[in-house]
Amino acid sequence: MAGAVLSAAAVLGAQEAQPPILVSRQLAALERLAVGDIVELAADARGTNARPFRIVGIYEPTPDPMRLGSVPREVRLHLPDLLALTRDPAVPAGSEHVEAINVALADPGDAQQFARDVNARLPGLVARPTGAAGPDNPFIVIERFHLAIAVVTIVAATVFLLALTIMLVDERRETVGVLRLIGLPVRRILTQVLVEGVLIASAGALFGLALAAASQGLINRFFQWRYDTALIFVRVTPEVAATCVAIAVPLGAAATVAASWALLRRGALRLARR
Amino acid sequence: MAIIDASNVSRVFPMPAGPVTAVRGVSLTIAEAEHTAIKGPSGCGKSPLLHMLGCVDTPSAGTLLFDGRDVSALSDRERSLLRLRQIGFVFQRFFLLPMLTAAENVELPQAEAGVPPGERRRRSRELLDYVGLGARADHRPSQLSGGEMQRVAIARALANRPRLLLADEPTGELDEATGEQIAALLDRVNADGTALVIVTHDHELANRARRVLTMRDGRIEREDTR
Repeated sequence: MAGAVLSAAAVLGAQEAQPPILVSRQLAALERLAVGDIVELAADARGTNARPFRIVGIYEPTPDPMRLGSVPREVRLHLPDLLALTRDPAVPAGSEHVEAINVALADPGDAQQFARDVNARLPGLVARPTGAAGPDNPFIVIERFHLAIAVVTIVAATVFLLALTIMLVDERRETVGVLRLIGLPVRRILTQVLVEGVLIASAGALFGLALAAASQGLINRFFQWRYDTALIFVRVTPEVAATCVAIAVPLGAAATVAASWALLRRGALRLARR
Repeated sequence: MAIIDASNVSRVFPMPAGPVTAVRGVSLTIAEAEHTAIKGPSGCGKSPLLHMLGCVDTPSAGTLLFDGRDVSALSDRERSLLRLRQIGFVFQRFFLLPMLTAAENVELPQAEAGVPPGERRRRSRELLDYVGLGARADHRPSQLSGGEMQRVAIARALANRPRLLLADEPTGELDEATGEQIAALLDRVNADGTALVIVTHDHELANRARRVLTMRDGRIEREDTR
């Protein structure tokens, strides 16, 4: 079956002879279509060369982020039916030609080589793997942009975290001073602080992940409703979770130790005497 | 052998307006179970000297031996462990950890010294009984009076059975009657065999010591022995 964006012209009575089509969920909902309905389709809004088709199924279109915001009101029909529908009456049947094909294979790793082979053997035809990710692919560019935002966010958050940690550690300067006067070595206090830092950072990372996991459903549902799509906007994968923990825990622990080290460099008496 | 043997010890603090000499060429020894008071006007160098005797600070010049070991040659960690195991401190402002109970404050130095939990709990109760606060063991510092907090601080200072107890104005924040109780308690600690050095403005407290050192301008101006 090939895909085409066409307009539903009219709903006719049930007839069995018409060629079958599939209708997107969004179009079916808009036009109140159901399986078994007969509709007339034309290639243009004037209804030129309109033909009747029978709806044999309603499908959920594959979400396409490039078409976000445009509701996919589509039908899918067999290629001969599409050609018959769109062909200029003056052009004889069978004179159509293909200029480009999208290649999707069971093993996506073979698609690139397959496309190269096709291009080499059939000059004038452009074969390309579906989802091919070149450096100028919009999603690669968007991903780089996201990475840049993430780096800036982490740097800014680190500065904020360090400032906050220094303030929190400074709140404990008298306690640290007393511990030093009693005779706790600097390394012993730093170890204690490091353990605290790791525990707090781990708890914070887990809380963040739990919040992300809980909110991803809400975010997805809202935007899926907003754009009438099955596209998934947020997904917290195990890799994302592991990356978050791998960044957050060492960063939190390092900020705590750095702040404590700045404090512990002062003399015990200076710490104890506010 | 003397616990402390200080020879021509000085302490100079670098300041933006130029170096300030707080202690100038002080020599003294502190023997086992000795009771010494250091008195003098504000700024005469009493506290800096006490901090050097307690290995919190090191001399800028001269030699300070603790139990025959040169304190200036010790690492920060070695001096910390020396404080933990051999020296007890009592301060004017008590310096108890507010989040811990009285018993836990006393247990803390023992825990750091590696005393097993059961033994340190028993020792803490024993010490709190010794200072008359057995009934307040589970109270936090905020639930105690100034005198009671100072008693807990003394119990904490004795936790690891130190050879030397240093007290910096131990009655400075207490009323006269409470100060007298604390002074009596310190006398008892000394009578039980712990060497005691008290820094104070209070002549009455100083005069309870067998040896009284009077400081002025960073020097020991006078030494009286009873």
